[in-house]
Amino acid sequence: MPDLADLQARLRDAVINGNAGVIVPFFADGLEVINRLAIHQRNYATSLVQALLTKFPATAWLAGTRFITEAAQSYVRRHPPGVPCIAEYGERFPQLLAQCPGSERMVYLQDFAKLEWHVGQASIAVGRSPLTFDDFAACGIDMLPEALLTLQEGLRYFRARWPVDHLLQLYITQSAPDVLELSPADVHIEILGARSEFHFQRLDAGTFIFRQAISEGQVIGDAAERALATDSAFRAGQALRSLIAAGLVIGMRTRTHGGNNDND
Amino acid sequence: MISIPPNASGIGLRLPHIAEVVATHPPATWLEIHPENFLANPHAAELLSELARQYPISIHTVGISIGSAGGIDRRHLKRIRDLVDRTKPVFVSGHLAWSTHNDTYLNDLLPLPYNAEALRVVEMNVHKVQDELGRPYLIENPSSYLGFAASTMTEAEFLCKLVRRSGCRLLCDLSNIHVSAHNMNFNPREYIDALPAESIDEFHLGGYTPEDGLLLDTHAAPIADHAWNLYAYALRRLGPRPTLIEWDNDLPPLGVLLGEAARADKIAADFIDREADCARSR
Repeated sequence: MPDLADLQARLRDAVINGNAGVIVPFFADGLEVINRLAIHQRNYATSLVQALLTKFPATAWLAGTRFITEAAQSYVRRHPPGVPCIAEYGERFPQLLAQCPGSERMVYLQDFAKLEWHVGQASIAVGRSPLTFDDFAACGIDMLPEALLTLQEGLRYFRARWPVDHLLQLYITQSAPDVLELSPADVHIEILGARSEFHFQRLDAGTFIFRQAISEGQVIGDAAERALATDSAFRAGQALRSLIAAGLVIGMRTRTHGGNNDND
Repeated sequence: MISIPPNASGIGLRLPHIAEVVATHPPATWLEIHPENFLANPHAAELLSELARQYPISIHTVGISIGSAGGIDRRHLKRIRDLVDRTKPVFVSGHLAWSTHNDTYLNDLLPLPYNAEALRVVEMNVHKVQDELGRPYLIENPSSYLGFAASTMTEAEFLCKLVRRSGCRLLCDLSNIHVSAHNMNFNPREYIDALPAESIDEFHLGGYTPEDGLLLDTHAAPIADHAWNLYAYALRRLGPRPTLIEWDNDLPPLGVLLGEAARADKIAADFIDREADCARSR
């Protein structure tokens, strides 16, 4: 009999991969071990496949339930959860979809599924009271380039190679035509969600890069430089005003020589 | 912290019902939640904080993995502690099982051999959990389909030793006892008789599904008569405890769960009335 750690490693492998034969001798005689172990194998696979189907209903609509179910079955074998919170499970599912046989007919599928993942994550966020222009005025204009902003936690920035936002809108409004031709397009999508609601919109490249850089923790000055490098028409002041006016900023810290000043 | 009367039944609160519970404030005596559904869902956690001001809450973990030979996931435990700090639950509980090995979480409750090595592992993990949470942890008897050749004691004996060595408390799931007794061929009443009554803080009742001669702990059906009968037996042997109605799959309308809780309340109230009559006649 192996020690407990070894036993659990073998049982884990049997549950995930369905190979029960090697551990049968460790169980008590007189039980139909293979059949009974199958209960745990089913519990594992069924619950996680169902969780993925629940998270990707639009992707299932686009690719077909059978395709998505088979992909999900493959995913749960290849990528078991690493944490007990299943809400966090499935982030890499869009990448796996792109590797599944048949996905070559839906070259936009990975981007579409990624967008749906972002929408799902954004919509379980909680919106916070935004900072106002007065809060920024109190900071002093000279400090702004060195300011770090905290954005609404339900914000996501996603750059797609296909107009998948249009496709998702068709799903949401149940207005998809029988035939739809998609052409590749570089689209910059901002998703904002909170308390089970969400919306998404396209941004121009400069604004997208600016906002994405801020959401990743860059100071305003650096974010603006990154945006300017892509879009010479980018105007930092205008972009910052629109960010504040949209209610997307919930906190600000200014980097000073001695540390940070908080204004949350 | 709000307490729960020992003869009061609560319901398992699942995410599809949470908005309705917040909006309608139904007459549930208390609510039990799986923290793993709330830790990565800020909106649900916000609603839970609101409910925690109105209802006694019990936190029933499904991801602690108290039987893991590799120990407890410290990050997950800390997230549980933060939720405990925010919601001030009446109970914090989990299963005599394991679900995590190294970095893999199996989303199921897997069985343990009942022997000295497993007892040492579970005892050590219970100490870690109780030290982090600063309170007793309730261990629930699992539903079983498999037994190990390496087991040297019964499940009830294992639980008795664990209580003595770790100071943990017990959550007695009567439906699990019925399911395990059927699947593993033991007497459910003898199992109840062997439990340390003074260490049991809570009962669970949930639905199961017959399949190929076995009973599966699906929490997808009404509580069966066998489980209700075992509940009545447990009341006689152990006395009333806060009792929780569990329903996780094929979730019915909220009213169905409240109806099951009312039935449990009625059985407990009848038991208390009979006990009072007996005391008066003595």
